[in-house]
Amino acid sequence: MRGWWVVGSALLLVGVLVIALRPPAEPATSAPSRAGEPVSSEDLEGRRGALVDQVVFTREADVGRVTGLIEAGSHQLFTQGISSPTVFNRLRDSLATGYDIAYGTYSELTLNPAGPELADGTLNPFHVPAIREALNRLIDRRHVAEEIFGGLAVPRLLPLSTAFPDYSRLADVARELELRYAYDPVAAGQVIHDEMLALGARRSDGQWWYAGELVQIKVLIRTEDERRRVGDYLSNLLEDQGFAVERRYRTAEEASRLWIATDPMAGHWHVYTGSWISTVIMRDQAENFSFFYTPRGRAEPLWQAYQPTPEFDELADRLQRRDYRTLAEREAMMASALALAMQDSSRVWLVDQINATARAANVQVAVDLAGGLAGSALWPYTLRYTDRVGGEMVIGMPALLAEPWNPIAGSNWAFDRMITRATQDPAVMPDPFTGLYLPQRLIHAQVTVEAGVPVTRTLDWLSVDTAERIEVPAEAWLGWDQTERRFLSAGELHPDGLTTRTRVRVHYDEALFERHWHDGTRLSLADFVLPWIVDFERAAPDSALYDVAHLPTFEAFQRHFRGWRIVSEDPLIIDIYSDQIYPDAESMVAARAPNPIPWHTLSLGVLAEQRGQLAFSSNKADRLGADWMSLVAGPSLAVLESLLEEKRQTQAIPYAAVLGPWVDGQAANRRFEALARWHGERGHFWIGNGPFELEAVYPVEGSVVLKHFADFPDPADKWLRFASPMVPELELDGPLVVEVAPPTGQNGAAVEAMGGAEGLEGAEFRLTVTFEGQAYSAEAIDAIQVLLFNGRDQLTHRGEAESTGEGNWRIRLSPETLTALGVGANSLELAVTSKHVALPVFASHVFATVPQGGGEQPR
Amino acid sequence: MTLPRSAQASSDAKARSTARRSLARDLRHLLLFALRRLVGLLFTVLVGVYLTIVIANMGGKVDELRLVQIRSDVSEMVRADPAFQDMPAEERNTLIARQVGLEVERLRLDEPFLLRSFDYLQRAMRLDLGRAEQMHSDSGSRQVYDLIVERLPATLLLFGSANLLVFFTSVFAALYLSRRYGGAVDRSIIALAPSSAAPGWFYGIFLILFFAFLVPLLPAGGMVSVPPPEGRLAYAASVLRHMLLPLAAMFLSSIFISIYSWRTFFLIHSSEDYVEMARAKGLPSKLIERRYILRPTLSPIITSFLLMLIGLWSGAIILEQVFNWPGLGSLLFQAIGHRDTPVIIGGVVIFAYLLAATVFFLDILYALLDPRVRIEGGKQ
Repeated sequence: MRGWWVVGSALLLVGVLVIALRPPAEPATSAPSRAGEPVSSEDLEGRRGALVDQVVFTREADVGRVTGLIEAGSHQLFTQGISSPTVFNRLRDSLATGYDIAYGTYSELTLNPAGPELADGTLNPFHVPAIREALNRLIDRRHVAEEIFGGLAVPRLLPLSTAFPDYSRLADVARELELRYAYDPVAAGQVIHDEMLALGARRSDGQWWYAGELVQIKVLIRTEDERRRVGDYLSNLLEDQGFAVERRYRTAEEASRLWIATDPMAGHWHVYTGSWISTVIMRDQAENFSFFYTPRGRAEPLWQAYQPTPEFDELADRLQRRDYRTLAEREAMMASALALAMQDSSRVWLVDQINATARAANVQVAVDLAGGLAGSALWPYTLRYTDRVGGEMVIGMPALLAEPWNPIAGSNWAFDRMITRATQDPAVMPDPFTGLYLPQRLIHAQVTVEAGVPVTRTLDWLSVDTAERIEVPAEAWLGWDQTERRFLSAGELHPDGLTTRTRVRVHYDEALFERHWHDGTRLSLADFVLPWIVDFERAAPDSALYDVAHLPTFEAFQRHFRGWRIVSEDPLIIDIYSDQIYPDAESMVAARAPNPIPWHTLSLGVLAEQRGQLAFSSNKADRLGADWMSLVAGPSLAVLESLLEEKRQTQAIPYAAVLGPWVDGQAANRRFEALARWHGERGHFWIGNGPFELEAVYPVEGSVVLKHFADFPDPADKWLRFASPMVPELELDGPLVVEVAPPTGQNGAAVEAMGGAEGLEGAEFRLTVTFEGQAYSAEAIDAIQVLLFNGRDQLTHRGEAESTGEGNWRIRLSPETLTALGVGANSLELAVTSKHVALPVFASHVFATVPQGGGEQPR
Repeated sequence: MTLPRSAQASSDAKARSTARRSLARDLRHLLLFALRRLVGLLFTVLVGVYLTIVIANMGGKVDELRLVQIRSDVSEMVRADPAFQDMPAEERNTLIARQVGLEVERLRLDEPFLLRSFDYLQRAMRLDLGRAEQMHSDSGSRQVYDLIVERLPATLLLFGSANLLVFFTSVFAALYLSRRYGGAVDRSIIALAPSSAAPGWFYGIFLILFFAFLVPLLPAGGMVSVPPPEGRLAYAASVLRHMLLPLAAMFLSSIFISIYSWRTFFLIHSSEDYVEMARAKGLPSKLIERRYILRPTLSPIITSFLLMLIGLWSGAIILEQVFNWPGLGSLLFQAIGHRDTPVIIGGVVIFAYLLAATVFFLDILYALLDPRVRIEGGKQ
């Protein structure tokens, strides 16, 4: 009997092991591989939309396993950025993996500006701008970037991200400031010493004393990441300067109670190791001055303690309000603001962090320079295996389905948005490397601005013109009458006429209404209009859709909104009138161009909220005690299903008075029947028109499946040129020694200089610009700025390089320019900006100037 | 000797009467005992839950943290939106203040914590789990009930399997070893017992490293393959495949200490006089094991078994994180991270009630099984 037990148990165990260890019938993923033969253009012929057949998203929060999982072939891509040097080194060393980088995160030191005496009578040295400014030279940013961040960071001195366009535009100013504030601990120590004495402190036994007490600095150090070591590094530097340092190690939550919530005068902290993040490329960072250095930034006590100089304050305010007439004026203001920000130095910028996005070696995808993979708008269009077309991919992300999905006020989580973005087909698409918008469903846009409004255009798919006065047509829709359920025109609301600062006219693709939603129905104008109605209804106090949480944003929108007019129904042309200005015309079009939402699914949501069964927003759901609407999972589905059944019976058209011209009973019937089929097959209501359709959602198991949408209109290679950022690669070559004539000016004697083999007429330097071994097109180069610094790091010359053929550039320095340098070691700095990528690239060449004939010359 | 019929009847009646009185007394004692235990347990639950509320909110200090967090989140959200960038600072700060106000109102942070704490308590005691403040179930519901119920099957499956496996394996192995005290296997188990000092997740990391990366036989984490297989059998096989490593990790981390403790327990009982007597009488060892060892030790075994079942409720936070297992442990971990008080309370109050009910059930069981407990418990 006992023997049977043992045999039975053993058999059971073997059975379990056989079932468990049996490999899945169809492996979900491919084996890891190095990149094979690249796909040719013939392979792509005929393919529409996405380049892979299926994408599966799954939860994986542990970045430590990323490389192993890719090597094991279970995953091909991960969305979370890797900032740990250890994990990154493992990723970099693996042959089965590749990576892309993004720059959105940046670190700084937030200084407490209160004082000079704090509430407890102690001295706060950082009240003095000169001491704050000196910190810039005390800190070795290269050490921070390379040692502390393990190379996953680049030094940053200014309140502008080194990867964003403003830095490119101001590269020469930035370079000059970077050299002015270059690492010089001796000079920094001297300034600190002088200023401390001026404050009444005295130095004894190598330490600073004030009012009989040691001068103590409380450094609030974040513990979760590399900032712990940054805090320790800074503390060591301050101790070397004679300060007693109290290191307060805190997590985000604990630290925020101190640095944000307490009055700086209370002296709970002096320095905080801060970090910020941008998930999109900010093309206009002018607002940074106001935010980071003035009391206008935020209402919290720290910001209220800022005391910028009146000049800086006014400049920051004007830049934030975009109070300038031309781009040149803006750049001049920015240049001044940068210098003043350095003098203020309420924040000491340290590094722009680099986050690596891991992928298999044979996978390629466009990764946003700021937002990484999760922030990339082009990922659905560029994701592919480099050695084959189609196939399945598994993408790991730290969280998915974090909040319910609905198209009005659903989940705003970056990872959820990344998935939903693949199911949508927007009017415009941001370039992942410059942030400039490109047309997707638009074919053209006309931007008209009031004369004197500084708006610039970079790309040629849109046009910009100016007008002395822009009238809003009387028939343009401006408001909503909730009682009569109709739009109110500008003429009704402003009988005396209405003017505005901008008009954006967007021309949609002529075949727009030939396109299909994922459920097979065709797009209609109602898909553009119903979202507008819902937007107004949610702000109307008497409406069943009224949502108090929507009100603040809607009111902000109303401040500048001046009207909406359908100029042509097919092809669709819409005018949008607004008082809001963006410096880039492309951004203005992106902010204005309406995107469609399928009216039939939206109408189910509207009905559910009107009946109090579900709510679009989290806030309203809590107020109603109902569920936050989800079109993809959970208890919302049963409610929506019953409403769909009702709609199928009644074929009721929402807001029929407005939508009637575009939706009749038959059209409604087709839509609801298609939706019922869709729901029956897939079990959810999420319908879009993007390159992927939502195939299945497994909430508890934590996976979401997207499937290639065969009816997507665009060829698969439409966006492939954005698969990797074309960051220019530079090689600067030139003479190491240049002879210069004595700086005479005497008797009008000719000044001569000789450089290497280039002759006696000056010096010539050669720059080669390439990308992946190929010459970088001269048309793609925005500018190559030349900065010449003498041995005292003083800027003596600015200029531009000249093209001498594809990829080759020449920099000529005249004898006069060289003579102005005097004798000594000099530095030629080049800042290269490309039209393809916001990231500027720098090259430098050090050369010596010697007197003609080798004689000594005093400087 | 025979008694007259009437006398016998009288004696029977007296005996029945005595038995009835005895039963009534026992029932009265049992009822009293049960009532007292019930009141005591309810009070314990009340105190436990209120302590959880106070600790989870750090006596109200969490409100400050949340306010700072809300302000920061809203400020950054507004700042990141290009639509608000050209807004004058005053208007922007007013906008931020309004958004913050809405969130404060939604979370009732404008009410004193003391008031809210009693509200949480009375709801919890009524098992009205309410709505989560920050979290959602995976399928999008904000009801705490849905959040818990959604994760419960995964926890029960993994931890139930592991604990049952460990329990029965260790009990039977311990019985076996108690008969072979001092043998090689026994000494090996004793030597391996300290290995249980390492928790399951610790073994899990090594198992993943070996079986998922070095010799990739099993998945590194998750409950089912991605995407989940269509058929039920394929789905079950996939779950089984994903369960193996966490199951093995839990088994390894507890089996030796469990066998060791049960073995010691059985050894103590094996040396009781009545067991020695049974052996002296030459009874078969199986019979001794069943009748003289297992039966008297049934109460502690049942207690241990039931408490083990209750222990499933909380899952294992780190193990679930390591294996990416969507169970209650990771739910509670997230709830603590979000400081979502209703979810934390929901998890705790259900555990507290389950524990109280189990203790109560065991008390009654003991009282029914053991007259000493019944009578003495009633008197106390």
